[in-house]
Amino acid sequence: MEKALERQLDETMNNPGVVGVLCADKQGLCLGARGTGERQTCGLITSLAETAQKLHPDESSSPVISIETDNMQILIKSKEGITTAVYKSST
Amino acid sequence: MQNLERIPDSLGYLVISEDKAVVSSGGELENDEKTAALVYNLVQKAYRIPVMGDKRDGFKKLTINWDSFFYAITVSNNRIYVCKRQYNPQEPMVA
Repeated sequence: MEKALERQLDETMNNPGVVGVLCADKQGLCLGARGTGERQTCGLITSLAETAQKLHPDESSSPVISIETDNMQILIKSKEGITTAVYKSST
Repeated sequence: MQNLERIPDSLGYLVISEDKAVVSSGGELENDEKTAALVYNLVQKAYRIPVMGDKRDGFKKLTINWDSFFYAITVSNNRIYVCKRQYNPQEPMVA
């Protein structure tokens, strides 16, 4: 199972503009990281996704969170207990 | 504050002060203190996420997207501005 996740992370990194990927479980523990994504951030990202879901708990799907800075965009999404963050460079 | 009401496809807006108080609100988010508290919490967490190169600046824009609507959040002048908007993606053109 781990190999499949590792492969998926590598494939994500090959997409244009992607500079980092993070993957965390329900408890915020890091399952995998590539590039810019810091492993210590996994807990924060999971917590952020959980809080965002609370805005509309009646919605069936979880939201996509986008954090934009001058030169970076972080996209966060939770599905089936796994939270993934993709760091994209906008330059 | 009236300018927030003029945003196209807006369903509601909130302005939150640094002490979590709702300064101004309208539409679906009128006096929505529960959403205000959640957004405040989200902004605090988003600021703590380290982003290479601009740790001190924090984020410019935070959006939370569902299928048919989204929240656009930004911070300016020690206030959090939140706008809930309808999401109407355009159909792709078929050549």
